[in-house]
Amino acid sequence: MSGFALSRRSLIGAGIGSAALAGLGDLPAVARELRLRMFWWGAKERAERTDKVNQLYLSSHPDMTIAGESLGWTDYWARLATQTAGRNAADVLQMDYRYIFEYARRGALLPLDSYVPKALNLTDFSPAAVDSGKVDGKIYGVSLGLNSTAMVYDKALIQSLGLKEPIWNMTWSEIGDLAAEITKAAKRDGFTGMEDGGSNEPVLEVWLTQRGKSLYTGEGKVGYDEKDMTEWFAFWSELRKRGASAAPDTQALDRGEIDSNLLSLGKVAMAFAHSNQLVGFQAINKSKLGLSTFPDGGKGAKPGQYLKPAMMWSVSAQSKQAEAAVQLVSYFVADTEAGKLLGVERGVPPSSAVRNLLTPTLDDLGRAMVDYISLISDKVGSLPPPPPRGAGEIQSVLRRVNEQVGFGRLTPADGARQFVADASAVLARG
Amino acid sequence: MADTLIDATTPRQARPDARAPELSWRESTTGYLFLAPWLIGFFGLTLGPALVSLYLSFTDYDLLSNPRWVGAANYVRIATSDPKFSAAMRVTFLYVALAVPLKLAFALLVAMMLNRGLRGLPLYRAIFYLPSLIGASVAVSVLWRQLFAGDGLLNQALKLVGIHGPSWISNPDTALYTLVALSVWQFGSPMIIFLAGLRQIPKDVYEAAEIDGASRNQQFWRITLPLLTPVVFFNVVVQTIDAFKAFTPAFIISGGTGGPIDSTLFYTLYLYQEAFAYFRMGYASALAWVLVVIIAAFTALSFLSSRYWVHYDG
Repeated sequence: MSGFALSRRSLIGAGIGSAALAGLGDLPAVARELRLRMFWWGAKERAERTDKVNQLYLSSHPDMTIAGESLGWTDYWARLATQTAGRNAADVLQMDYRYIFEYARRGALLPLDSYVPKALNLTDFSPAAVDSGKVDGKIYGVSLGLNSTAMVYDKALIQSLGLKEPIWNMTWSEIGDLAAEITKAAKRDGFTGMEDGGSNEPVLEVWLTQRGKSLYTGEGKVGYDEKDMTEWFAFWSELRKRGASAAPDTQALDRGEIDSNLLSLGKVAMAFAHSNQLVGFQAINKSKLGLSTFPDGGKGAKPGQYLKPAMMWSVSAQSKQAEAAVQLVSYFVADTEAGKLLGVERGVPPSSAVRNLLTPTLDDLGRAMVDYISLISDKVGSLPPPPPRGAGEIQSVLRRVNEQVGFGRLTPADGARQFVADASAVLARG
Repeated sequence: MADTLIDATTPRQARPDARAPELSWRESTTGYLFLAPWLIGFFGLTLGPALVSLYLSFTDYDLLSNPRWVGAANYVRIATSDPKFSAAMRVTFLYVALAVPLKLAFALLVAMMLNRGLRGLPLYRAIFYLPSLIGASVAVSVLWRQLFAGDGLLNQALKLVGIHGPSWISNPDTALYTLVALSVWQFGSPMIIFLAGLRQIPKDVYEAAEIDGASRNQQFWRITLPLLTPVVFFNVVVQTIDAFKAFTPAFIISGGTGGPIDSTLFYTLYLYQEAFAYFRMGYASALAWVLVVIIAAFTALSFLSSRYWVHYDG
C-alpha cells in the first residue's frame, strides 16, 4: 500500500514537474521567437484585413508571432483600461482622438519621436497628419486613416423613389424636407426618411460648431446654452411629428453600432455616421449606399465638420518589445502592400504614397470615400479641443433627454434645461 | 506524507462519536489539502478582490492613475445626490417585486400540474427546466429582442387578431415588463424544488381532508401551501437574491444603456456603466457594497419573518 502511495506521490510530482517544464518550455521559445500582441476595436471586416497584413508581415519575419484581438467599441475601452491597470496591455493598441490625451498624459503610451525616421517611417505623411497623433508636442499615435462625420444613405432606394440624393450644401431644413418626402414616397410601415439625430453627439457637435458654439470649451465646460439646446430638441421634435425622422420607440432600437443602426435594420434611408464606416455599413446592407456631408449650416455659418484621424496605432508604454512594435506600426501605415490589403476600411490612408497607389485600384466604395474626403477638405474647420474627463457620459445624457422629449415626457425647453444641467454636472464631476 | 496519502485513499470506518478537536494535525492538514482548490478560489478570487473593492470604494480611481483616498465621499454621494442611483433603485425594486412572486407562482402552478402523476414526467420536467439553463444567456436575450420588437413575433401574432402592438422592448412604459416576462419564463429551478417539496407531503393528509369534505381549493390553502412553506421560503430567498443581481438581460436588451429613458437601468447595469463605461471604479465599488448591504438586509428580513409563516413540522 505504501508503495502505491509513493508511486502516486511520484506521479503527482512528475505531473507538477512536467507542468513546470511545459511552463519553462516557453522561455527558450520566447528568446528565439518574438511575440507581439495587437488589440483593436472593430467588426469582422476589419479583423480579416488586419490579420492578412499581419500574415504578410510575418512571411518576412519568420522569428515572430503576432496575436491579434478585437472587440466592439464599448467593450474595447473597458478591456483596454483594465489591461492597462493590470500592466497587461497589448504592445500595439488602436487609439482614438477621444482617449489619446488621457492615455498619453497618464504615461500609458510610448512617445514615438525617437523612432522616426528609422523604425517609424512617416516620410509620406503630411505635417498635419503627423500632428494629428501628437499630445503636448510628442507623437503618441500614428494615424491609420483620415475620416470625418458623414451621412450614409440608401442610394438605391432614394433613386428608385425618383428623389434627389442628399448633397453637401443642403441645409438642415432641406434635409428634413427630403426625409419627409422619402417617408411619404416609400410608404413602408415603420419606415422614415432619416434616423433621429437628436440623440447623436457628433451630429450635435457639427450643428453647434456651425453656430459658433462647441460641445466643450478649452477649459472642459459645456460650450452651449439652453437656447441652443431648446432649438436642437425642437428641431428633431418637429421632424418626428412630420414623420421625417424615426419614432422614439424605433430609434431606441439603435445601440450605437453599425449592426443595430436603423439604416442596417431597414428602418430609415439616411443615417449619421463616419465616412470610414461606409465599408462596414455596405458589408451588411444589401442596397447600394452613398456618402454625403452632414447638413449645411446655411448662410454665414461656420464649418461644422472637421477631418480627424479615424483611429491611430499607439504603442503601450509597458511594451517590452517596443522597437519591434514600432516597426510593425510603421509597416501598417507606410508599406504599400499592407496599404492595399487595408484599403480604406480604417479611413483614407494618410501616407500620400499609399494613397496614390491605392486610388486607381479602389472599388466604388473606396472611391466614394476618397472623393468624399477630398470634397470636404476645403469645407472643414480645425480639430476641436479634446473631450474633457467624464465626457464619455455626455452621449448617454443626450440620448436620455432626447428620448424624454421624444416620448413626450418633456418639452424641448424643459429638455434643454435638464440637458445643460446634467451635462454640466457630469463635466464638473469628471 | 506517505501515511497521509494512505489515509486519504483508504476507506475509514465511520466514527459517529468523532469530534473535531480530536483530529490530529495530519488529519486536518489532509482535510485542508482536499479543500485547497476551493480555499484558493475563495481567498484568491472572492475574498481578496472583495477586500480590494472595499478599499477602492473609499477612493477615486479611474484605472489609469493611482487610486486617490476620498473618505466616505462616494457613499455620501450615493445617499444624498445621485439621481441615477434612485432611478436604478426604482427599476430594480419594481423588477424584484414583480418578477419574484410571478415566477414563484408560475413555478408552483406548473409543479402542481406535474405532480398529478403524469406519464412521461421526466421528459416534461426536463423540457420545463430547459429555459432556466439557457435563460441567462446572451442568445436568449437576443431572441427576446426579436420576440418583443415592433415587428417581432408577438406583434405579428397580435396583428392576426387586429391589435397593433407597440415596440415592447424599446418603449419606456413596457420595456421592464418584457424583462419580467423573461424572468418568469425561467421558472425551471424553483419549479423542480417545488415539485420535490410537493412529493414530501404525505398522501394520507389529503385523504383525511377529502373524507372531511374539504374542497380542492381548501386543500391547497390549508394543506399544500402550509406544508410547502419551508420550500417557498428557500425559493423566495434564492430568487430574491438572483433578481437583485440580474444583469445580462437588461444589458443585452438595452445595449448596455439601460434605456429607453433609464426604464431598464438595473442596479447592476448602472454599476457596470460607472465602472466600465465611465471608469469610476471607486464609485462603482461603493455601489457594489451598497448592493451587498441591501441584499443582506432583505435576506435577514426574510429569515426574521420566516418564524411567522414558515411551518417546519409536518
